Amino acid sequence: MSALFRRRWRFFVAVLLALPLAVLGVFVWRSIQNSDWAEPVWDYILTEGLPGTLKVSAAAVVGSALIGVVFGTLMTIKLLPLQALIRLYIEVFRGLPILVTVFIVYFGLPSVNRGLEFGALTAASIALILWGSAQVAEATRGAVQSIPHEQHEAASALGFGWVGRHRFVILPQSLRRLLPPFVSLLVNIVQNSTLAQVIGGLEVLEAAERQNERIAAIPPIGLGEIHAFEIFGGVLVLFFLISFPLTRLAAYLEKRLV
Amino acid sequence: MILAAYDLWAFVSENHEELREGLVNTLKVSAFGIAGAFVIGVVLGAARAHRIPVVSQFTAVYVELIRNTPILVQIFMIFYALPQFGIVFNQFTVAWLAVMIWGGAFNSENFRAGFEAVPYRYREAGYALGFGRLATFLNVTLPIGGRIALPSSINTYISVLKNTSLMYVIGYAELTTTALNISNLTLQTTEALTVLAIVYLTLVWSLSALIRLLESRLALPEAR
Repeated sequence: MSALFRRRWRFFVAVLLALPLAVLGVFVWRSIQNSDWAEPVWDYILTEGLPGTLKVSAAAVVGSALIGVVFGTLMTIKLLPLQALIRLYIEVFRGLPILVTVFIVYFGLPSVNRGLEFGALTAASIALILWGSAQVAEATRGAVQSIPHEQHEAASALGFGWVGRHRFVILPQSLRRLLPPFVSLLVNIVQNSTLAQVIGGLEVLEAAERQNERIAAIPPIGLGEIHAFEIFGGVLVLFFLISFPLTRLAAYLEKRLV
Repeated sequence: MILAAYDLWAFVSENHEELREGLVNTLKVSAFGIAGAFVIGVVLGAARAHRIPVVSQFTAVYVELIRNTPILVQIFMIFYALPQFGIVFNQFTVAWLAVMIWGGAFNSENFRAGFEAVPYRYREAGYALGFGRLATFLNVTLPIGGRIALPSSINTYISVLKNTSLMYVIGYAELTTTALNISNLTLQTTEALTVLAIVYLTLVWSLSALIRLLESRLALPEAR
């Protein structure tokens, strides 16, 4: 297969990929232009919903990265109880559906101890951190173990202790290898932040759902119109616009760095 | 205090019929979704790996669209948005359709990678033996590429199983919905969540164990 053909084929795919999205986008855009229902709806989704999604995603990414890297590094210590404990943590939170983890944090913890009651967005962030840190820990373990043993020995010879050796020599090298999985994690977390909707946290999907219900209500309260396709289609486009560049970036980094 | 003492056994023995029904529904939806995802994955994966003109581009669009949007929004599209055009499905159909479409997208990537990993000379050997394109695919590419794709495709099936829990949002009575509904009636939240966690972890862990078993059993002879 010639390079020219492949390039043309890729261009063709890109055009075809853009086409249905563009149609959906134009559809949504025209519905915004030609109607009086759309503007307050999108205003609400973008000003009330989007900050919620971004807050949950940011908290979850930072939390998962910090906890995951620490757990993953600790897992390379040859101490059986420690390894078994972290392995259990990883397998449990990767094995549970994230929705069940969300329920455990939001409904389960308060019923065990009243002090552990969280708001919906906080609970969703905690659940995503539990899931994300398990993913990161597994990736970090692999990345740390892929650093050649000579690096450890050289760092020890320079007088570094365990912490200094990992902090200054091993982790900086493994973080390079962790970059692509981090970007994929970011995409997954942004998408899974919609799970906050299930427990009523105000993020993009919940905002869209509230607006959908509001304008579907009988006239004195709402408009009695159903615009579910435009509203949820718009949410779909919004998430695609956030995720697609990031997945491309992850694929690019994977090719560049590995 | 209405909160009862933690009694897992009482919760299970009082509600075992509903819970079993919920588990059966979860498994039913998963089975439909996994079977559909397998067929979609093999067909579209083959189309992409062999660059079949229109189907291949359609697959690329489908895969990117599904992979870059949250499955919850996809469920909302099927359940709330399609009825606007008179397309109404019941909850069970929405449930298996949603996970099937989602799993199919991920699976066609798995199988594409598997089929592309089959060296071209193997296919040339098939043509040299007088096989047509379809016969070469069925006799050469599928058995080899399918085995390469098997572990990653089982990972996708595990995700399909886990994603059936999202059918809570459309009120389909699978395991999560059943357990949560019972706990809303009886306030046995902790017990309900314990049961959920145990059942899901059992299912997921046994499927992961199956991957490891199959990996060693079905590994290609030279990789062993």
